[in-house]
Amino acid sequence: MKRSLTLGYVPLVDAAGLIAAQSQGFFADEGLEVTLSREASWATIRDKVAVGALDGAHVLAPMVIAQTLGVGSDATPMIAPVTLACDASAITLSRRLGLDDARPAAALAERVAARRTMDASPLTFSSVFPYSTHNYLLRLWLSEAGVDPDRDVRLTIAPPPRMPELLASGIIEGFCAGEPWNSVAVAAGSGVLAARACDIAPGAPDKVLGLTEAWSRRHPETLAALIRAVVRGLRWTADPDHHDQLAEVLSQPHCLGVPRAMVAGGLAIARFDEGRPTHDQAAWLLDQMRRWGQVQGPGPDAEAVYRPDLFDQAWAKA
Amino acid sequence: MRVLVVDPDSARAALVAEGLSGVEPLEVRHAALYDPAEAAAFVPDVVVVAAESPDRDTIDSLREGSLTNPRPVVMFVDRSEAGLAEEAVRAGVAAYVVNGLAPERVRNVLEVAMTRFQLMHQLRKDLDKARADLLSRKTIERAKALLMKERGLEEEAAYRLLRKLSMDTGRPLGAVAADLLAFAGVLKGDPS
Repeated sequence: MKRSLTLGYVPLVDAAGLIAAQSQGFFADEGLEVTLSREASWATIRDKVAVGALDGAHVLAPMVIAQTLGVGSDATPMIAPVTLACDASAITLSRRLGLDDARPAAALAERVAARRTMDASPLTFSSVFPYSTHNYLLRLWLSEAGVDPDRDVRLTIAPPPRMPELLASGIIEGFCAGEPWNSVAVAAGSGVLAARACDIAPGAPDKVLGLTEAWSRRHPETLAALIRAVVRGLRWTADPDHHDQLAEVLSQPHCLGVPRAMVAGGLAIARFDEGRPTHDQAAWLLDQMRRWGQVQGPGPDAEAVYRPDLFDQAWAKA
Repeated sequence: MRVLVVDPDSARAALVAEGLSGVEPLEVRHAALYDPAEAAAFVPDVVVVAAESPDRDTIDSLREGSLTNPRPVVMFVDRSEAGLAEEAVRAGVAAYVVNGLAPERVRNVLEVAMTRFQLMHQLRKDLDKARADLLSRKTIERAKALLMKERGLEEEAAYRLLRKLSMDTGRPLGAVAADLLAFAGVLKGDPS
């Protein structure tokens, strides 16, 4: 049985389950020796998992589907045996826009319409990756307000830690990203929270544990042990009594490097107790990928990518 | 040749410049962070990005954007990431360069990346065109069937009528067929 693993993560509050599994010794309890490797971008994580430089990683929920289909990268069959977080992101708008805080979506739509009649350049919004729940949430929120995300605004991609600075310097007018970056922008005074993920599409999966299908076939016992340890990490994380302790770990410079209060805010909002991945989650993601033109033709079977069966088997083997 | 190097460390920009010395004209620009406005103004022939740069996702997404001009992207990978460089070279338009590469090989790698990119870009364009052609052929078939049914024409006569419409209006056959179907839909009361 393979015991030594390297798992990648991007510094975000919703990586807490993996970080807790490490700091609370749940990996060690399963006989696993895990190294957590902080990665600078989703593209790097995707490539490293595909070529085996990482055994698995904290990845964006739609990434495993995109990678399996080969959209945006070479096709690599992937699996998601654990959902790491739901409802962990939010949309923040620039305070400079001066919109009515009580009805940000409608106020934004009016502004966009006004700018169009003046022939002003479209407002710019960022999400974190083309294949991210954040991209879909931002698009849904804009469309529901009557703003066409492809025609009325400019959508770009930026790394989450840079969002507050891009907002403050006026390069973007809004973003959808995970915590703590919304809290950081709001605390800095440059951002106003406009909507939370749970207001737009409650229960939409944010991050999953992603591994290649080939890896999971080669190391079934290791996979079962990994699932058990990660789920213990998630359950520990979901308990509000542990949030102070966890915020302390996450706020360290080598992890997120932001004040504890901002981490704690994010921990309180995200849902970590949905560890079992469901085919409904995969179907919702695939719907979004189709709606926004990322996928044409038949998609992969949800059964092939989101794997509640492996999640359930992990307990049978324990 | 215009090269944009996005890397927190400036050493690799120097390596790229050294490896490309002799290429005329040459402009190598180094940016610690990717700035879309700066990149748009500079119009690089190739973008070199460090694998560890937090801006990788931004640059990666530009390949898919239809609004921005796609650019070939070359990646610098640290030597310590065994296997990543070799394997990832297969990954489409992005080529990986292992850190510590001799400067004289830089030129070769960038040229290969640009050639590959052109090839992929052409293939994608051909594929899009083939799809559009197929779609237009299907539209013509449907318009023909409509004319045969509504006007009681033989297939050959229906096609001739379509071609005449196309020549009279100076528009492609596919477009005329699409118009005909749309108008027929309106006349039949389809919502449009």
